[in-house]
Amino acid sequence: MSNIVNIVIDGKEVEAEKGAVLIDYLFKQDIDIPHFCYHPALGTDGNCRMCMVEIEGSKRPQISCDTPVKEGMVVRTQGENIEQVRRDILELELINHPVDCPTCDQAGECKLQDYYMAGGFYESRLEAESKVKAKKAVDLGKNVMLDQERCVLCTRCTRFTDEITHTNELGIFSRADHSVISTFPGQELESDYSMNIVDLCPVGALTSKDFRFNQRVWFLESFEAICSGCSKGCSIHVDHKKEKYKDDQIFRFRPREDHDVNGYFICDDGRLSYKDENDNRLNDASINQETVSTKEALTNIADVLTANPNDTLLLVSPFLSNEELALIKEYTLNNGTTLSGYSPQYYDESFADDMLRTSDRSPNRAGMMALRINENEKDFNELLSQKKVIVVIENSYFEDKAELFKDKKVILFSSKDTKVKEFANTVLPVASFLEKDGSYTNSESVTQHIKSGIRKNAPVGTLTSLWKAIESLSKEKA
Amino acid sequence: MKNFTLTPENQEKFEKISKRYPKIDSMMLPTLWLVQEQEGWISPEAMITVSELLNTTPIRVYEVVTFYTMYNTKPTGTHHIEVCKTTSCMLCGSKEIIAYLEETLEIKPGETSADGQFTLSVVECLGSCGGAPMLAFNGDYVENLTVDKVKTLLKESSNGN
Amino acid sequence: METKIVSKRFHIPESYKLEVAKKHGVYGSLEKLFTMTPDEVITAVEKSNLRGKGGGGASCGQKWRYMPLNDPRPAYLIVNADESEPGTFKDREVMDKDPHLLIEGIICSSYAMNIHTAYIYIRGEYKWLADRLNTAIDEAYEAGIIGETLMNGACDFKLDIVVHRGAGAYICGEKSALIESLEGKRGHPRLKPHQKECEWYFGDPATVNNVETIASVPEIVEFGYEAYTKHGTPKSPGTMLFALSGPVKNPGVYELAFGHKMIDVINTLGGGMKDGKKLKAVIPGGVSCPILTADEVNKAVLDYESMWDIGSTLGTGGMVIIDEDACMVEVAKNIIEFYHHESCGQCTPCREGTGWIDTILHKVIHQQGKLSDIDNISDVCGTLNGKTICVFAPAVADIIGSIVVKFRDEFETYILNNQGAEHE
Repeated sequence: MSNIVNIVIDGKEVEAEKGAVLIDYLFKQDIDIPHFCYHPALGTDGNCRMCMVEIEGSKRPQISCDTPVKEGMVVRTQGENIEQVRRDILELELINHPVDCPTCDQAGECKLQDYYMAGGFYESRLEAESKVKAKKAVDLGKNVMLDQERCVLCTRCTRFTDEITHTNELGIFSRADHSVISTFPGQELESDYSMNIVDLCPVGALTSKDFRFNQRVWFLESFEAICSGCSKGCSIHVDHKKEKYKDDQIFRFRPREDHDVNGYFICDDGRLSYKDENDNRLNDASINQETVSTKEALTNIADVLTANPNDTLLLVSPFLSNEELALIKEYTLNNGTTLSGYSPQYYDESFADDMLRTSDRSPNRAGMMALRINENEKDFNELLSQKKVIVVIENSYFEDKAELFKDKKVILFSSKDTKVKEFANTVLPVASFLEKDGSYTNSESVTQHIKSGIRKNAPVGTLTSLWKAIESLSKEKA
Repeated sequence: MKNFTLTPENQEKFEKISKRYPKIDSMMLPTLWLVQEQEGWISPEAMITVSELLNTTPIRVYEVVTFYTMYNTKPTGTHHIEVCKTTSCMLCGSKEIIAYLEETLEIKPGETSADGQFTLSVVECLGSCGGAPMLAFNGDYVENLTVDKVKTLLKESSNGN
Repeated sequence: METKIVSKRFHIPESYKLEVAKKHGVYGSLEKLFTMTPDEVITAVEKSNLRGKGGGGASCGQKWRYMPLNDPRPAYLIVNADESEPGTFKDREVMDKDPHLLIEGIICSSYAMNIHTAYIYIRGEYKWLADRLNTAIDEAYEAGIIGETLMNGACDFKLDIVVHRGAGAYICGEKSALIESLEGKRGHPRLKPHQKECEWYFGDPATVNNVETIASVPEIVEFGYEAYTKHGTPKSPGTMLFALSGPVKNPGVYELAFGHKMIDVINTLGGGMKDGKKLKAVIPGGVSCPILTADEVNKAVLDYESMWDIGSTLGTGGMVIIDEDACMVEVAKNIIEFYHHESCGQCTPCREGTGWIDTILHKVIHQQGKLSDIDNISDVCGTLNGKTICVFAPAVADIIGSIVVKFRDEFETYILNNQGAEHE
């Protein structure tokens, strides 16, 4: 208990952990202290001087990112004095800034803009032509664009490449107000985590080449999800939008702070995997290559499954949620079909690293294993040779192995357009990973739940709803 | 990019000086001085070599080179004239000296004369305020300047070549 | 008028040579030193009230006490020879004329703090002085004064001295920026510790002292603290190397006991104003100290406390003399150009504020000034004060703010007369 001390913040007595960084404590109390350089993942640097607070007994305002909590400390984050200090420093941050918000992609999520709006508007005391000029729209590689004029030199990006990725691509060059961030002449960003600097950048100096000019952020909606790019299951924000006369579309993934899983960051591959959700979707149900209604396809599948339960192999995948896997496992137990989760194609040793990326490029193998769904190769091959009906559910194993379907009846459930559909007797599109709710268990046994926020004009049925429809159709027949 | 290497003598110096520090990191400024003494300036290729010698990355070297004003990131003329412009020198007439040099060498500060003989720099305080106005000629301090003194200096150095 | 302690051999021809300096008493303190315990040395320095001569004026003995005792880690003495404050050119005199005195001071100080490696961080532009120091250090090694033992085995104490050249950055005179630079990085000052402590070089304890401070130590060791405190004032005992530059007849470095009247020094040692001009102002201790008007100069006394009393500081003791011909707008512009050029750019107020003031004054000089610019400059100075990592920005606020306040009339007239570029 001796670690807990009493302090006063804005007149309110509170308990805090002795020695904690004051700014962290203020964040926890939902006190929004303006700051640029401090970031919990990167620690204190103290260069922006924005996070000043008044501490009784200190002659001068102190930066809260470099103030340890002490017993009896009396802190003021509000009041004319300290707000004036912040306005003054903000004015200096802006003095060489181009204030090009209308053409800046950061607008809407820019700290400089937020603080300026919060602090009250004022006329710039420096004409545009007197501002220090620097390079604009520098392509740093890895989808990152740099605008040196907008930079406030908080060094979050250089500290990220130095301390987090240890790739050291970025540095500060020159001195005084001519200081700029850049790479070594002729070199580009290399890290597989480079795009995190876009999120870290508190202003519009670093923007995503992939996202820039696509959308104004205030028009985007967002829901919490996980990345399906590997078995780490990094927590993300899914930013999407349903424009008038258009369908709901995902515009970007952003990392979501999660100390059980990914901390603050995600890898670039995962970040850009939102495209997979939008692209290359399977839209139509078909029987023997002829487009049919979902109803017709469902009836057809129910017929096949009811007729051959003992001759049917259901192949599920670690892309399915725990709930979906449980549903299908239960079906198998009740109906005498066989079940496999064989999916070696998702392993890719070259993808793994010592940060977040794992060698299993699927999100829920741990969930599949928890349900004891067999993924043994020998068992699978044996079953494949025995069974006449193969039901492939969101599993890409057969993508380049269609020859294995010889003399088989093939039913395909897929959210993706795939070559396999040409060899399948019945094809049924299903909702994609982010279009459905469900829980997933990552490689470290952390289970996370997704509640989808996507609202398609003509939503494709989820595997769960479709499978339940098949079950009731089968019962009708029985 | 061409590879840069220290001359054997400088490599030997590098190794000798390295022993004076607990960590190789401290060799950054001394090594860059060796490079500049060898080449007259510090090229990106040399920065890469320095980063290898110091077991660091080129970016760290580049950060340092651009921070310290004495490291040249482009070649200079045979003679480098650095005229102090700060307060005491200004009060004692450095403007006149700078104007004379600009006119005579037909260059602006930061430029090198067409014949490659002289690079003119106007610099901040060189710690020679008692001898104001002053300049450094290839690093050697020349104090209590008058236009005549500068004239003689230019003449002698041109003759010398 | 002069009291020569540090400068006692400056007048001797070739005093930088070991044989010459030795004939005149250099290394004379060491015999006494070896009879003292390290703690006794620190106590003597504390009692002498020797204060840092690099501009800060902090007690040297107290600083030494911050070094951890009985610490297994190696400790370092870092001598700050990064003399770059405009108007300051005193340390160069020590290194130029009596480098062995500095080595002697390093021996005494290292002995007191159980330090076996000392670095002299010298500004890059002083290449010729680095060469001189290296020659003197080589002589000292050869003569067995330093190295594996001190004074050829008279004291079993290993000491190495290394000269480390900077490369052109005023901010490296700030002790933590200096260590960053010594560690091979950009010279960005470090955040201040939350308690009084020593400095850290690669995580090992270090102390940073100015050249003149270290050169003052042998006197205290050899003759006792009383020999030092008998000079000067009770609160500012001892001497300091004062410098005069600008339009005086005899610019130069003069060692004086604290407590002399500034105007006497200018008129006596400085020989008065050149060409019979009138004195207009003095920037007292390097250009970072608040400026004094001619009236204030008449009252100013050269010790720490008296200078505070009249609203300025003693700084490095480097007085920049300004005569009636000088335009204060140009003086301010000249000084802000220096600071704008030298700001390390790490923290916002300094990086942006120095540039902004420079831009405002540029406009004023180029006939685009407005009267409101004067208040804008004062405002920015206010923002620069007390909000940055190091004292660079407050120094800018002090000097520029004081010029603008004390010579406001001149700024107003300048702007209204629209004199601008033609003004000489």
